[in-house]
Amino acid sequence: MEELAAEVVVNGYALIGYGAAAIGPGVGIGIIVGNAVQAMARQPEAAGMVRTTMFLGIAFTEAIALIGFVLFFLV
Amino acid sequence: MIVAAESCDIEGGIVCTPSNVNELFVFKPIFYIGETGISRTHFLILFAAFLVVVFLFAGLRKKSVVPSKIQSVVESLVTLVREDIAMSVIGKGGEAYVPYLLSIFMFILVGNLFEVAPLINFPITSRIAIPLLLSLITYVLFLVAGIRKQGKEYFTHLIWPPGLPVALKPLVGLIEFASTLIVRPVSLAVRLFANLVAGHLMLSLLLVSGYFFIYQNGVWPVPGKIPIGVAWYVFGLAIYGFEIVVSVLQAYIFTLLSAVYIQTSLHPEH
Repeated sequence: MEELAAEVVVNGYALIGYGAAAIGPGVGIGIIVGNAVQAMARQPEAAGMVRTTMFLGIAFTEAIALIGFVLFFLV
Repeated sequence: MIVAAESCDIEGGIVCTPSNVNELFVFKPIFYIGETGISRTHFLILFAAFLVVVFLFAGLRKKSVVPSKIQSVVESLVTLVREDIAMSVIGKGGEAYVPYLLSIFMFILVGNLFEVAPLINFPITSRIAIPLLLSLITYVLFLVAGIRKQGKEYFTHLIWPPGLPVALKPLVGLIEFASTLIVRPVSLAVRLFANLVAGHLMLSLLLVSGYFFIYQNGVWPVPGKIPIGVAWYVFGLAIYGFEIVVSVLQAYIFTLLSAVYIQTSLHPEH
């Protein structure tokens, strides 16, 4: 019974940790996509290249959020 | 998981503790070869490889000028990998990498789509083995490409980019070393792995919770729980659609990043 309580507490802290870690990449991805949309609006001919670079940027910032997600399950 | 829930004793205890989340990912072995157990996962991996080979073979067998339906689908996939990923990212010398990039793109795509395939709802990329192996192959590939292109000074140019002020060398060296030689393969594997694990976990929990709330084991059914069950189930279906997008996107991103890493080895001046 005590073990269960301790496990729940640790899981609670891990969840708060993950939540705090997801703020950064969330803002980051928003900035990337916002700038990509602006770039595509300014010069529609470059839309393909902008889209590719946007996906790359999203992949890099999302990696940080996913490391947090995996660590949540490790704890 | 539904079997485990049905064995939960509702009248005995108030709380039925759910079993470990491992149960969703680790399956019981069907038979043993020596010490290793062969389970459903192994068969699914072989099945995915078989599907990729059959699909590409069927599409490219008769190269008629006016393409049939399968041929045009396969042609569009190959064109996507060749033009948008290999040629436009790697540029010159990208031709040599198209077979590898096509293979990993198709394999990861089929493996991811197993998550949303009706009878197979288990993505083979949700166990760390496949993403880790493919990421390590990409790692070796871009290191070897860099060494062949630039010789021995590949590593010194990697860690200390030419034109760097001498005073910054230690700090930038450490950062570049960690960023290129450690973070790249690990993040490539973990990105694919964690996306698929999250998707599988969400789908399993949402859909099974919806089912469980609606049926409630038939013992003491509480009608008030049924709307909750329906809500969970509908949300699960929405995530199902999202999972299809995530599967294709993650396959595309893995292949794109592999191409980008190869490009930075082949053309370091960018």
